[in-house]
Amino acid sequence: MAPISGSDAEYFRDKARRDLLALLEGVRGKKNLVISQDLAGPIGLFVKFSVLQEYGVDRVFLLENANVDSTQRNIIFLVHGEKPHMVRRVAEQIKRLQHNGNVEHEFSVLWVPRRTLVSDKILEEEGIIGDVNIAELPLYFMPLEDDVLSLELEDSFSDLYLHKDPGCIFLAAKALMDIQQRYGYFPRIIGKGDNARRLADLLLRMRKELDAEERSGLTDLPFRGLLPSADTESLIIIDREVDFGSVLLTQLTYEGLIDEMVGIRHNQADIDTSIVGAAAAPQNQGSSSKAPPQPTPKQGLKRKIQLDSSDQLFNQLRDANFAIVGDILNKVARRLESDYESRHTAKTTTELREFVNKLPAFQLEHQSLRIHTNLAEEIMRQTRSDIFRKLLEVQQNNAAGADPTYQHDAIEELIARDIPLKNILRLLCLESCMSGGLRPRDLEHFKKQVIQAYGHQHILTFNALEKMELLQPRSSATAMLLSTGGAQTGTKTNYSFLRKNLQLVIEEVSEKDPEDIAYVYSGFAPLSVRLIQCVLQKPYILSLLRGGGSATATQASSTQASTASPGWLGFEDVVKSARGATFSLVQKGDDKAVRARQTISGNHTAKTVYVFFLGGITFTEIAAMRFIAQQEAGRRRIVLCTTSMINGDRMMEAAIQKGSFAKIAA
Amino acid sequence: MAPSNPLANWERVGDRFYRKVRVYDAVFGEEVELENYIVAGAPYGGAIALYRDESRPYRYLDAQTTKSSVDIYSSSGKLINQINWEYGAIRGLGWSDKEELLIVSEDGTVRRYFGLHGDFTSFSLGNGAEEYGVRACRFWTSGFVALLSNNQLVAVSNYDEPRPKQLAPCPEGEVSSWSLIPPAYTLSRSVEVLLAVDKTVYLVDPTDAEDKVLQDGPFKHIVVSPTGRFVALFTGEGKVWVVSSDFQNKVSEYNSKARTPPRSVDWCGDDAVILAWEDEIHLVGPNGAACRQVAQKIDLSFAPYYYDGRIHVVPEFDGVRLITNDSYEFLHSVADVTEEIFRLGSTSPASVLLDSVDQLEKKSPRADENIQRIRSSLPEAVDTCVKAAGHELDIYWQKRLLKAASFGKSVLELYNSDEFVEMTEKLRVLKAVRDYQIGLPMSYDQYMRLTPERLIERLVNRHEYMLAIRISEYLRIAADKIYVHWASQKVKVSTADDDAVCKLIVQRLDGKPGISFELIAQAAYDEGRTHLATHLLNHEPRGGKQVPLLLNMEEDELALDKAIASGDDDLVYYVLLHLKGKLPLASFFRMINNRPMASALIESSAREGDMELLKDLYYQDDRPIDGSNVLFSEALNEDELQRKTEKLQLASRLLADSKDATVVLQQKLVLEASQLLKVQDALDKDLADRSEFLGLSLNETVFRLVRAGYGKRAQKIQSEFKMPEKTYWWLRLRALVAKRDWGELEEIGKNKKSPIGWEPFYNEILGAGNTKLASIFVPKCTNLPVADRVEMWVKCGMIVKAGEEAVKAKDVNTLELLRARASGPAVAEIDRLINHLRPRG
Repeated sequence: MAPISGSDAEYFRDKARRDLLALLEGVRGKKNLVISQDLAGPIGLFVKFSVLQEYGVDRVFLLENANVDSTQRNIIFLVHGEKPHMVRRVAEQIKRLQHNGNVEHEFSVLWVPRRTLVSDKILEEEGIIGDVNIAELPLYFMPLEDDVLSLELEDSFSDLYLHKDPGCIFLAAKALMDIQQRYGYFPRIIGKGDNARRLADLLLRMRKELDAEERSGLTDLPFRGLLPSADTESLIIIDREVDFGSVLLTQLTYEGLIDEMVGIRHNQADIDTSIVGAAAAPQNQGSSSKAPPQPTPKQGLKRKIQLDSSDQLFNQLRDANFAIVGDILNKVARRLESDYESRHTAKTTTELREFVNKLPAFQLEHQSLRIHTNLAEEIMRQTRSDIFRKLLEVQQNNAAGADPTYQHDAIEELIARDIPLKNILRLLCLESCMSGGLRPRDLEHFKKQVIQAYGHQHILTFNALEKMELLQPRSSATAMLLSTGGAQTGTKTNYSFLRKNLQLVIEEVSEKDPEDIAYVYSGFAPLSVRLIQCVLQKPYILSLLRGGGSATATQASSTQASTASPGWLGFEDVVKSARGATFSLVQKGDDKAVRARQTISGNHTAKTVYVFFLGGITFTEIAAMRFIAQQEAGRRRIVLCTTSMINGDRMMEAAIQKGSFAKIAA
Repeated sequence: MAPSNPLANWERVGDRFYRKVRVYDAVFGEEVELENYIVAGAPYGGAIALYRDESRPYRYLDAQTTKSSVDIYSSSGKLINQINWEYGAIRGLGWSDKEELLIVSEDGTVRRYFGLHGDFTSFSLGNGAEEYGVRACRFWTSGFVALLSNNQLVAVSNYDEPRPKQLAPCPEGEVSSWSLIPPAYTLSRSVEVLLAVDKTVYLVDPTDAEDKVLQDGPFKHIVVSPTGRFVALFTGEGKVWVVSSDFQNKVSEYNSKARTPPRSVDWCGDDAVILAWEDEIHLVGPNGAACRQVAQKIDLSFAPYYYDGRIHVVPEFDGVRLITNDSYEFLHSVADVTEEIFRLGSTSPASVLLDSVDQLEKKSPRADENIQRIRSSLPEAVDTCVKAAGHELDIYWQKRLLKAASFGKSVLELYNSDEFVEMTEKLRVLKAVRDYQIGLPMSYDQYMRLTPERLIERLVNRHEYMLAIRISEYLRIAADKIYVHWASQKVKVSTADDDAVCKLIVQRLDGKPGISFELIAQAAYDEGRTHLATHLLNHEPRGGKQVPLLLNMEEDELALDKAIASGDDDLVYYVLLHLKGKLPLASFFRMINNRPMASALIESSAREGDMELLKDLYYQDDRPIDGSNVLFSEALNEDELQRKTEKLQLASRLLADSKDATVVLQQKLVLEASQLLKVQDALDKDLADRSEFLGLSLNETVFRLVRAGYGKRAQKIQSEFKMPEKTYWWLRLRALVAKRDWGELEEIGKNKKSPIGWEPFYNEILGAGNTKLASIFVPKCTNLPVADRVEMWVKCGMIVKAGEEAVKAKDVNTLELLRARASGPAVAEIDRLINHLRPRG
């Protein structure tokens, strides 16, 4: 098989763009586009608004605003069709337009990522299925970066853990099947967590079904997908609920902190213009993919900043611990200045021309420098605040395994000082996760406090948190589990056991030249990534446990070992203490064919490992994974996949009751 | 077999050659009087549908013949199926390129027969078809347009999801003839229709009817060429005009000198027009000049052919099929490659190469001479021979040409034989299907357009399973559909008992990849063999596929389980919607409550709008907290206080009976919520005219009360709701700072103790900018280390005080540092303090 050119990210970007544009082209003439809110951002990841215009899109409306008008005869809806209420909303608007418009509209609905039976049924019930052209836009993975693919399902976290709706697992399986059909089957699927297990089972099942699928029309494909891939090493699936704890900590990398303080969505952050200055016109040229202008009603004083690898400077900064961001910025500033100064030393005209040619790049860099310096200063200001320090202190003590009851006074004080509810809940959940629940008396006490402080609607919030098993009373059973430190498969992740046995806490971390992934939380290694290291970097972990820290020596030996002991081998007992199923499955193909292909393709040195974070991934975890990828460079390529980006705030938002008694009465 | 002359039947028309090849003899028996029938042929040499032309008298033979039917024959005249027709007058008879027969009756009902054996779906044209009636229809490969008797046009462009659409309204008048341009060839990408009305022609598309402003109508015939580039018009004076389809250029004109207009005018390929009378056809063309974009007038020639009986012309994109009672012929233009080789006196390399094979067989040295002569262009000669073999219908000449190619490439050192090999494969397939027993006489180009997969479909529709499987194996195409079709057919016709049939099918299909047992089961179910269907379904590997059929079969529980097993939430929800509509609520809940995925889906969808269902569900499942939460969120959404409190009462009542600690706490909190609302309501009435406090949190309420100066009330609420002392102090502190009530704060500062310490006072007040007041609290922070206190003094701008603090700790270093930060008189003061500490040192 010929090696397939282009990275996954590029492939998915191209495919998504081609598919969308082909569908748009299918509707002749000018058209208005109605997008649901959760798609407006992701679309910007692969197609520019100007391109949409070239394809006849006149105006873009948000489905949620329900304000699409009759300026064009053709109206295209681009909506996630998985959720019945979204379908109903589309149906309502179509009916509205049919009734009050004097224009006879031509409706098209593009369901993302697939046309569902339920959507058909609903449209049929509404009596409009005959009036709309229905097509599907198979958007599954959207490339956030070259090494990060995301399904961008914003509700996936609450669906999975609060509503227990496994829809996104199915979509994840579909998306992974895409990859498998491209490269061949993952030779091995390794995973941790019950939902991960479910995803793996679905993959096995879909493979069987694909084998059974009618293959007419795919004359060149049928013999290709049946084999385990030669370019892929394995798929590692980590269920988010295995490690809620890490997410609840405040991320301390640059990108992580931006996400914590401003929020990053689809590689973009809305930042106050008082911080980064108003948008300058030439800014657009720099960032490669500018989103279609968000039809948000009020832009306010926010400015969208593109945060991705097209910005060289940001690329340097994003994964660094915030402590050293200032240094890097200084260095860059100095270099830039000396680059500018080089114009004085330019003597000949060619030298001058060279300088002038470089000018636009300088300007771009300069602009980005200004933005990031301002942003870093703003973040610095916030991290210096009394409240931030208190939060961090409580978090770090919890993470380090100190007796959580000593933190309770601090939490109470923070409640009384009326800091945002999310932060309080994060602290409480963190304690619950790290120490297997709160003492019932404490939990009751905090519940009352929070509800009195933030409103009684949060009775529902607490119920939701309990349902998600984020905040629980410590039961006698879990207390026992803690005391024995036992290694039976738990229904909870036993952090105190794992902290010891996987060296989650590293006391001395160098933020500047990190030796361990723990740098991302200034001393705490996210469990999720540690678990992945148990698969990919066994010698390192072993040396960490033995030598207790000195890590560098082990780099060389890690090459052979990982192939020699695949899966969880060597760590089964430790891994059992994390929540949920543990598994390592081998997908076998026809032996002869595999061997034949091995001889043909030779020994590929760098194979790809896909790591799927089911339920969301944080920017710190991405940073940690990149740190590992760097160590593994040459031996493997690591591609991260996820259902969506997540952080502690978003986790809490899933639970927090938004209504309040004041809402309507006011 | 004696070689026929390859030039036989060649006819020169203009500068091109046309060839009429007799494919089958004795096609229809005596009993079919072809002249009395309307004939429609499926594209690419497909089946032929016959329907008796009601307007003609016919011989009465027996009762059978008076029965109206549509008969489907293969091209070689084998009867495939007879469809009894009792649905009124037929106004349109046509085929799609998937070999589906479409019959449009006068009332606008369209029946689509697929699979050639009478299975059909139907839909109605609507758009006034019923009132006005359909007059005629024109078909293209994937759709058709119907002309109603009120001149309205209705187009259907997709048979899978048919959506009849009106085209733009047309002008009044007598439509003398009409034709359509398929969407693939129009600028608007939707079908366009040419209507000859009165003296002119209108071009009608979905939005507009454009008058082409012609004078020479009425046109008896108007026909669009296969690629939509040209239009042939037959004028009332017996002339044929060929114009470009935008009506801008007249390409050619030909006078038929016939008084009667021909029965039909058709295109033969893209460059010749066929005029057909009862027993005579004229081939008119070509307009090759126009193809080369030179709009010069060229001398048109024509070739007449005469027949004994009535002749039917069925156009294909690369020629026409001529069907009479005793022959089936294919008339087409001779391909360039063929002409290059066989034309009299041709000296092209390919022709020479072909000749060398003859010489070789005669063992003549000329063979080698020939090769040497064309050495330089030998590769092209080989290519030409391979291509010509494809276009040749005669097997003898196919062989000769391939032999020549083979000989030629054996001389070449390097030649890519792929095309040669592929051509031999294609010719084998074509030979097999052209056989009169199969009756698919397609040309090479038609086969290429049809694709091997669709060819196999056609074979399967004719129940030629054996040949289909052979070909699919030969061409390495998945054969699963053939097996499935075979099995479905087996299920339909077999009279054996269910188990035997099931066993037979499973045995036969064992180990074959990609078999869809679901389709076979569906066929069994459609035949009413439910038991067999269930059996077969168990062999279906894809869970999802089983579900819809299981639902049809009322195997609800099984369907739900299969759907859940597939992991596809859409499918599960689909089943649930179905069941919810069908089952009584209690049994519906029973069905979902031990299936977590199902109840999760129902819960989350109900939360989006069906609260009652949710309440019922929680009640049934005995989940009091969830149930009370529903009521609680309803309370949140209520507008009036009264209603809110009522809902809260209901919510608390649901929790009343339980002894469980969490439930008890929950109930307490719910009650507290309604109590708070009551208190706030009272506050609103007493203190503010508008609603200011209602709905706030407890802390916020206290905060606002203090800020507004109602300290007493705040305190009362604190005790009423058992608010912790610490919290209360914090709130009071923040509220007073927000109010800038420095006096009150100072007053509080006179207390001995504060439950939250005094540091917060210092911080908050300093944060508000009152350094003087803040400084009062510094000495009270006795629990802090000296260094902190020094810093606190400094922040208040009181360096000297800071110094004194340092003196107490005897810390000279700090004092030195302080001096550096001091200014004015403070410097001296600090010096004094240093000296105070130093003298002994």
